[in-house]
Amino acid sequence: MNESRMPAIGIPRAMLYYRYGALWEQFLQALGVSFQLSPPSSRGILETGTRLAPDESCLSLKMFMGHVDTLVGRCERILIPRYSNYGYTELFCTRYEGLYDQARNIFRSSGQRFITCNIDAQNGSPEAKAFELFGVELGFSARQSRRAWQEASKALKQKQKAEEQSQKELAAKPGMKVLIAGHSYILSDPYLGMPILDCLVSSGAVTLRADALESETARKACAKFSPTCRWIVSEEIVGGVLHWKEKADGIILVSAFPCGPDSMTNELLIRRLKGMPILPLVLDTQSGMAGVETRIESFLDIIRFQRGDMV
Amino acid sequence: MKQHRKVALPRWGEYNCALKYIVEQGFEARCILPPPLSRRTEDLGARNSPDLVCTPFKTTLGSMIEALEAGADTILMVPGACRLNYFGELQEQILRDMGFTFEFINLSLYNTGNAKDLLKALRVVNPRRSMVKTARALYEAAKMIEHLDDITTLYYENCGFDPTKTYPKVYRQFIADMYEARNLNEIHEAFRVASRAFEDITLNKPSDPIRIGIIGDYYTVMDPFSNLELEQKLADMGVEVHRLMNLANDMLRGGGKNKQAKIRDFAEYSLGASSTADIWQAQNFAERGFDGIIQVKSAGCMPETDIMPILANLSRDYKIPVLYLTYDSQSSDVGLMTRLEAFYDMVEMRKKVNS
Repeated sequence: MNESRMPAIGIPRAMLYYRYGALWEQFLQALGVSFQLSPPSSRGILETGTRLAPDESCLSLKMFMGHVDTLVGRCERILIPRYSNYGYTELFCTRYEGLYDQARNIFRSSGQRFITCNIDAQNGSPEAKAFELFGVELGFSARQSRRAWQEASKALKQKQKAEEQSQKELAAKPGMKVLIAGHSYILSDPYLGMPILDCLVSSGAVTLRADALESETARKACAKFSPTCRWIVSEEIVGGVLHWKEKADGIILVSAFPCGPDSMTNELLIRRLKGMPILPLVLDTQSGMAGVETRIESFLDIIRFQRGDMV
Repeated sequence: MKQHRKVALPRWGEYNCALKYIVEQGFEARCILPPPLSRRTEDLGARNSPDLVCTPFKTTLGSMIEALEAGADTILMVPGACRLNYFGELQEQILRDMGFTFEFINLSLYNTGNAKDLLKALRVVNPRRSMVKTARALYEAAKMIEHLDDITTLYYENCGFDPTKTYPKVYRQFIADMYEARNLNEIHEAFRVASRAFEDITLNKPSDPIRIGIIGDYYTVMDPFSNLELEQKLADMGVEVHRLMNLANDMLRGGGKNKQAKIRDFAEYSLGASSTADIWQAQNFAERGFDGIIQVKSAGCMPETDIMPILANLSRDYKIPVLYLTYDSQSSDVGLMTRLEAFYDMVEMRKKVNS
């Protein structure tokens, strides 16, 4: 294929794509940059990623590297934004911080070019500045880039608001409700989290998601509950659990093996939310759905029993 | 009048001597030293911790339990740049759920990037004492840490070549002196005595000994119990063991300027916590012609896992062998010895072939 016909940017459909992807896509669209997503997750992608990533890294990172692999040689540059922090006490998991450099090292011999958008307020590059520099690197003026970023962040906010709104309607429905909490890149991943959500729906439970909530609301709730939790994405999940839990009959905490932040925040949730049925589910590369289904079914039975549906 | 607080910090290498100094000379409080880390500490910690958390969380939790058993009424917990910053809050919850009554001073709460907040924390520990005295104790404890790290560095570089076998005795005495020191003079004096004693021992070292550099995560690499005395084991095989990662280098002396720029070929940005320092140190060892590098990390340590592909590239570029060691609460001596012996044999053979 002629190089000029390749899309300028490739975006791995994994990790923070599920949280901030709308922002990146809008930004690129506003500037008129062509981009391509990697295909939806599959067993094959995970297997490739597992081979490429260090053995001890988390399931999500393995999936991510698999996605990067599908883009190698198929776009001019692969975009891996580096989410480090919004400030001294507003951090991201170190894994997102290292993704860009880690991928560059794993795929070093392929000759593939990478590009990042470095969000690191502690080192003078807050989000606005980061996207400005990113736009400039793509060949646009600082002004164009700023405007594109403003548009894109508005779009992301609206997306979140819409999700929150539609969940509000869902929460008003009658019937057994289960709150499912986890990183959006696990829950929304068609190979990892979606089968669980499908399983819940087909068992007749109304499924609420902790991540369907505006970020500010969630993080405020989390700050009260756990003041030293400083990973933004984890704050959103914990805050989401606190916000929606009143509407739910039980909570499922889904995490990837061995997720660092989850290993601690989930433990804290289990210890501090007394009297609420909670099922922690940890997914790993060997996950077959049968085991997960059994656990979900028996968990739902417990909830039904508690609600008095099953006397 | 209120009794003096009995303050404890979980064990971490021999750095507890510095805390003891700060607490007893700077604050009006007593310092409780938790018992040295043991299998029991690890078991206690692992049993009460979430499964997937990193090993230092479990070890420090175990040490907190032992500190409370030893009579401490206040636990102090440090902040950090990784999950460590969140250790305190969860550990406090776990200890309370276990039924302990105590005061918990979580420095993470005061770690807001604003120095005033850290001063507030000092007032919490120490409401009555003058800030000048506290500041002096902090300064003197920093000196203590520098001396401790310098002597430790000398010790592991040389103890493998000491025909008289008196190095360990000198080192143990020095550590004991650090725990006993009550003023700056005593700290300096102990340092002078130990340095002189080391100088007086004639080493039986070849002109080009096998040199191995150690890097790794903050807790595990600096705590001999947690890394199963890796450095001593290597030294006993006749290796000059180098470790740049210590508190003095990393926190007090800036740990090498412009590290990120120097490792630009491998990493443009920090990968979090100790990653930049580690990559820089590995590159430094490689450039100085070391024979091997060992990466020490606790199971579940994220930044250390993330730099593994970088270390692999560094190993290729500089043609230097790297051994990756992961420690969990079940690590046993035997497995480690096998791997170390194999690594040593390989490194020794390469040296012979290359020279």
